[in-house]
Amino acid sequence: MTVRLHTEPRLENPVLVAGWPGIGNIGIIAVDTLKGMTQAEEFGEIEPWDFFYPRKVLIRDGELKDLEFPTSKFYFKRTANRDLIFFIGEEQPLGGGGVYAEGDKAYEMANLVLDIALRFGCQKVYTSGAAVSPIHHTMKPRVWAVPNTARLIPEIRRYENTVLMSDIEERGGQGTITGLNGLLLGVARKRGLEAVCFMGEIPIYLQGFHLPYPKASKSVLEVLTAALRISIPTTELSTFIERTDGEIERLYENFPPEIRQQLEKLRYVTHTKAQSQEPGPITEEDKRGILENIDKFFKKEPKGD
Amino acid sequence: MTEKHPFTIYWEPPLQNPSLIVGWSEDAGKLGSKVVDYLTQKLPAKELAEMEPTSFFPLGEVVVEDDVAMFPTSKLYCCPEKNLVIFKSSLPRSQWHKFLNAVLDVVGNYGHLSEVYTIGSMVSLSAHTVPRQLLAVVNSTEIKRALRKYEIVGNMNYETPPGQRPTLSSFLLWVAKRRNTPAASLWVPIPFYLVSTEDPWACRRALEFLDQRLNLRLDFRDLDEEVERQAAKIAQARSHSPHVDAGIRKLENNEGVTHDESERLIREIEEFLKQKD
Repeated sequence: MTVRLHTEPRLENPVLVAGWPGIGNIGIIAVDTLKGMTQAEEFGEIEPWDFFYPRKVLIRDGELKDLEFPTSKFYFKRTANRDLIFFIGEEQPLGGGGVYAEGDKAYEMANLVLDIALRFGCQKVYTSGAAVSPIHHTMKPRVWAVPNTARLIPEIRRYENTVLMSDIEERGGQGTITGLNGLLLGVARKRGLEAVCFMGEIPIYLQGFHLPYPKASKSVLEVLTAALRISIPTTELSTFIERTDGEIERLYENFPPEIRQQLEKLRYVTHTKAQSQEPGPITEEDKRGILENIDKFFKKEPKGD
Repeated sequence: MTEKHPFTIYWEPPLQNPSLIVGWSEDAGKLGSKVVDYLTQKLPAKELAEMEPTSFFPLGEVVVEDDVAMFPTSKLYCCPEKNLVIFKSSLPRSQWHKFLNAVLDVVGNYGHLSEVYTIGSMVSLSAHTVPRQLLAVVNSTEIKRALRKYEIVGNMNYETPPGQRPTLSSFLLWVAKRRNTPAASLWVPIPFYLVSTEDPWACRRALEFLDQRLNLRLDFRDLDEEVERQAAKIAQARSHSPHVDAGIRKLENNEGVTHDESERLIREIEEFLKQKD
């Protein structure tokens, strides 16, 4: 199990930004957009075969020529404010037979990523994923932020459109983050690195459709760029959002009318802290009812990834 | 620190640069397991080693098939007289690279492997009356050259289509290639209406090749009888059912069948083959 480095860039206190696919591919779209827009250069990769099943075979004239695996690559970029390392994994290693990484292989991969981060002097890690939420797809998704140390809470509070678990109605600061986007936080904590996972909200009724949700990626990207103090153009992402918005609207129109009627109430959800602000247009009881009905229909539990 | 391989080895056979034949338990027409079962019984081959399943299979539940609880099994058998090792296994569900290397490591303890063959089937739209072909994908030009003298279709061009994944046999060929071990995956197309039962003719076709290539001196009389018995039963089915006859006739004339016709053909042939003689 090795990491192959093509070059050893000289970096000064870089920040690691890592992403794997997950619900709506929210995290990986955000990280990949940031990597692309900063024109980061590839400098290494984790050898894939111990982690993944191959995804493509190439046979020519009866001879196996190549076997292609999902990639897990490192990129770097020196910026005026700070140096960056990006890590992008095309798939999560599946050790436990589930959809998201778990078990020995996930832990090994998280450690390999952090080995490289530490080798280049990195002390801070950002990951990104999805937060499945009772919101409507016409709303601007918020970003749930989970740090691996309480020291980072004041930093998170400075970011716009960002909430901590304790800000989210009925969560009381508790929750889970599935897969490597979450595991990396824990392993970073074990190895003494500060880390934050930014999760863009995706409507609960879209989580099972394997559709990208770049609207939430954009929210994540806004927070990430603020955290990194860089700015990037988001025109391409906006075009992507327009396209997926159209697809989602068509999908929504095809939901059974009784479900759509329930989901319509989510348009009026306001993200209020129950005790500190005025109640929104729908009550908590309404919201619970909507979630129960949606849950029955789509058979999914709300969660983060 | 080196990791212990996951096999329990039962005895030390006198092997020198053996060949290896691999059959997977989950396969259309159960061809892989039927071929390796036939070999272990006929040669005969004795159980050599068994792999512990913990690293490679989810063990949170057992699968029930035909009323019986199953359990993933991965076993090596060996026939020292033929310098041959046979591996029969369920398809692993994780750590595939480690799994495949463990198999080649254990057999490699008896000298560099001469050749590796995997047995598999593919679903075909041909009629059962059409002679079975043998297709091969190889991992080097050397083995390709060596197999030229056999009647094998060896000019396949293929790329995994989106949404699908390569077979474990392809993964094994790739792992063997990295170890400079010549390997070939052998494929026999099976008529679609025999996929959920058995196709003894396909089994014979794969075994014929292995017999010639590895000088196994197999006696195929029992298998030939099985092929004849199955052909007679399907002929009976054709005479009983005009749908079956019309469907098979279309396939024999390369006319193709509709989805409904193929479903009906599968159903009626299966029912007929399940009936006792």
